[in-house]
Amino acid sequence: MYELDMLLKGFQTLLSQPFALLLSVVGVAVGIVIGALPGLTATMGVAILLPFTFGMDPLSGLLMICGVFFGGIYGGSVTAILLKIPGTPAAAATAMDGFELTKKGQAGIALGTATFSSFLGGTFSVLVLIFLAPVLASFALEFSASESFALAVFGLSIIASIAGKSVIKGLIAGFLGLLIATIGLDPMGGFPRFTGGYTELFSVPFIPVMIGLFAAAEAFKAMEDPAVRNGAAAMLSRIIPPWSTFRRILGTVVRSSGLGTVIGMIPGAGADIAAFVAYNEAKRFSKTPENYGKGELAAVAACESGANGCTGGALLTMLTLGIPGDAVTAVMLGALTLQGLQPGPLLFREHADLVFTLFAGMLVCYVLMLVIGLSSLRVMGRILQMPKSVLTPVILALCIVGTYAINNSMFDIAIMLAAGVVGYFMQKWDFPASPVVLALIMGPMAEANFRRALSLSNGSYDFLYNRPITAILLIIAGFTLLFPLVRGFMRRSKAAKGATRDAALAPNPAGGAE
Amino acid sequence: MKSYLSVSCAVAATVVSVGLMTAGASAAEYPFKPIELIVPYAAGGGTDLVARAFADAAKKHLPQSIGVVNKTGGAGAVGLSEIMAARPDGYKIGVGTVEITMLPHMGVARFSVDDFTPIARLNAEPSAITVNADAPWKTVEEFLAHAKANPGKIRIGNSGTGAIWHLAAEALQDKAGVKFNHIPYDGANPAVTALLGNHIEAVTVSPAEVVNHVSAGKLRILAVMADKRATNFPDVPTLKEKNIDLAVYTWRGIVVPKKTPQNVVDTLRLAAKNTADEQAFRDSLAKMNLTHAYADGPEFRAVMEKDNAFFKDLMTKLGMAK
Repeated sequence: MYELDMLLKGFQTLLSQPFALLLSVVGVAVGIVIGALPGLTATMGVAILLPFTFGMDPLSGLLMICGVFFGGIYGGSVTAILLKIPGTPAAAATAMDGFELTKKGQAGIALGTATFSSFLGGTFSVLVLIFLAPVLASFALEFSASESFALAVFGLSIIASIAGKSVIKGLIAGFLGLLIATIGLDPMGGFPRFTGGYTELFSVPFIPVMIGLFAAAEAFKAMEDPAVRNGAAAMLSRIIPPWSTFRRILGTVVRSSGLGTVIGMIPGAGADIAAFVAYNEAKRFSKTPENYGKGELAAVAACESGANGCTGGALLTMLTLGIPGDAVTAVMLGALTLQGLQPGPLLFREHADLVFTLFAGMLVCYVLMLVIGLSSLRVMGRILQMPKSVLTPVILALCIVGTYAINNSMFDIAIMLAAGVVGYFMQKWDFPASPVVLALIMGPMAEANFRRALSLSNGSYDFLYNRPITAILLIIAGFTLLFPLVRGFMRRSKAAKGATRDAALAPNPAGGAE
Repeated sequence: MKSYLSVSCAVAATVVSVGLMTAGASAAEYPFKPIELIVPYAAGGGTDLVARAFADAAKKHLPQSIGVVNKTGGAGAVGLSEIMAARPDGYKIGVGTVEITMLPHMGVARFSVDDFTPIARLNAEPSAITVNADAPWKTVEEFLAHAKANPGKIRIGNSGTGAIWHLAAEALQDKAGVKFNHIPYDGANPAVTALLGNHIEAVTVSPAEVVNHVSAGKLRILAVMADKRATNFPDVPTLKEKNIDLAVYTWRGIVVPKKTPQNVVDTLRLAAKNTADEQAFRDSLAKMNLTHAYADGPEFRAVMEKDNAFFKDLMTKLGMAK
């Protein structure tokens, strides 16, 4: 086992470099904070810390960046679960069930599960990176525009499963997202669409909309009744989930980690897509899919292991092929180049020692994330005990600062606040916010890649069925769309047998169950 | 209580001294406070890295530090507009890129090339015709001959419609009398990825963006659209050697708003010259595979004006100009 040997040697080298270990602690801690703050994503965290690594030796610098990357992906879940503020787009998926658990008074266990799942998903993906990198590397190259289009269509079909109480309202929210996604520069022609002459609208202002829809809307809603404390629900009774619970979700974690790793390898698809896909698949395979959206622990586990599973996958293609799997690794590619390391097949041959020490460091980073995460959860959980009259303004301030930080732009703040108002009314009238976010992620990806695929095939639609990956993904997408309908039909025919049950189900989609 | 008092004393003292400093500003030497350097692209990208390396190396040559601020959006239009609209006092300067000479013609920018005073060009990268290593073409002649025989069959990936590498491919098509199928990607990196996967036939991005794959034997550069051969690739011919008179460069440099006073411009020019000569700056660029291409203000202006005329002409021909 060449890899195992090298990895053990890597651990040895790592132990003799306390500075690198210290920096990974710093990186993970900074990453968790950055991930937890709305607006500051893992991508930004890595970009901000990048200049600091210029003067460091390659190992320390890269480990710090990896720490920020891993911590940033995980950190988003903390505020998503506690406050329904997804710190990162991936955490928007976690927020769906995580916050419901907090409302039920199970915040502690939700956070603990999120932490363990992130750790397991991440570690799994790093192990894949270490042992299977050469085997899997070429997979990413199979992905052309048509495959990306099919993946995006599959992503959009997930709206059907995250729609919540009413599929119609979920679809309306999804189409709203798709409409917003048409704003900006045309992905192929390069001309501006619906920008009203504002250069700021040239790219879809995705993160401000997300912060507004989730965090600002939640803050506006809290203003209705500022005196209320979360009270009993705020107690973090237990953080580490009991083994019986954990065993139940282990299958979900393994499946989601695998999915996350594969999605991470695909160029242009990152943790956000992985989290939503993992959620969808967890629901599909669940014995109790009706619990999803109402506070299902397995959903939190799926999103987090999927999102963190992405990290190893994205690093895999970046290190072996020099192709960044997502936005974070695109920035990391610059970091590697600056350290005089040229990512690509030669990296493993010429710098094998360093690469495997780095791998060892990545595993250490994930252990650090687990330790730092678990030990800080109780402190972070205290947020819930703050009176809302204090917490709400703080959340709003964070939304504004976080939004400004993305582009240093006041314009984005206006978009965020407008999205907040829209989000407030969406909540009032029971429209789910996550389909909007999903449509904003997938819409531009579907459009650009469909048109690119057409361009590549010289206008022929053959790519829809004669490319295997594309065809399979499109079939799964169709299945995902129809699945809730079929299930609803089956339930209805079952319910027809017992009329009393039918009566109990009927008022549910109409009335808001707040 | 006592500490509170001393804090307020300190605050008062600072306020007074800042007031005095501002009062003496007109007389004081430029710069007396930190300078903001606007980068119109995201942190971590090539332009950002050049800017940060410059800001870092400039410490020795300016009495005040330079802080990098990223103002992204609109393919650079947002940040470049901000530089143009900045108060012309030299405290808000910017990184100007080749887009200064392209965006105005597309009707998406409020500025034109005349709204900027160039300080110094720091870096320039030519376009390069790169194909997959498995491709049948060993030379640019073979490649162009094939393109001529199969019009519209060769798919060339670029970094976005209207972006520099798209225009490079359009210019090549124009000069060589061939017809390509242009495929826009969301940046140079995805285009290179598609080339690696054999989904397209060629890309026209800079050598720096493909160097890793070229040295790994996965891709092959056929020619560079430059005035002279690249130092990293001495064996790769220029298009000019092949009798195609075409050179397309992307460049990055320091620019200030038009009305900036002459003494400020002179101070910055001197500082930029010394910074560009700094070994640390050269090393940073070399590490990023970027080409050091210092040009002083007037020379930089000539480049800008030449490119401005070139792109205006090309975009009008393509029907992209507004």
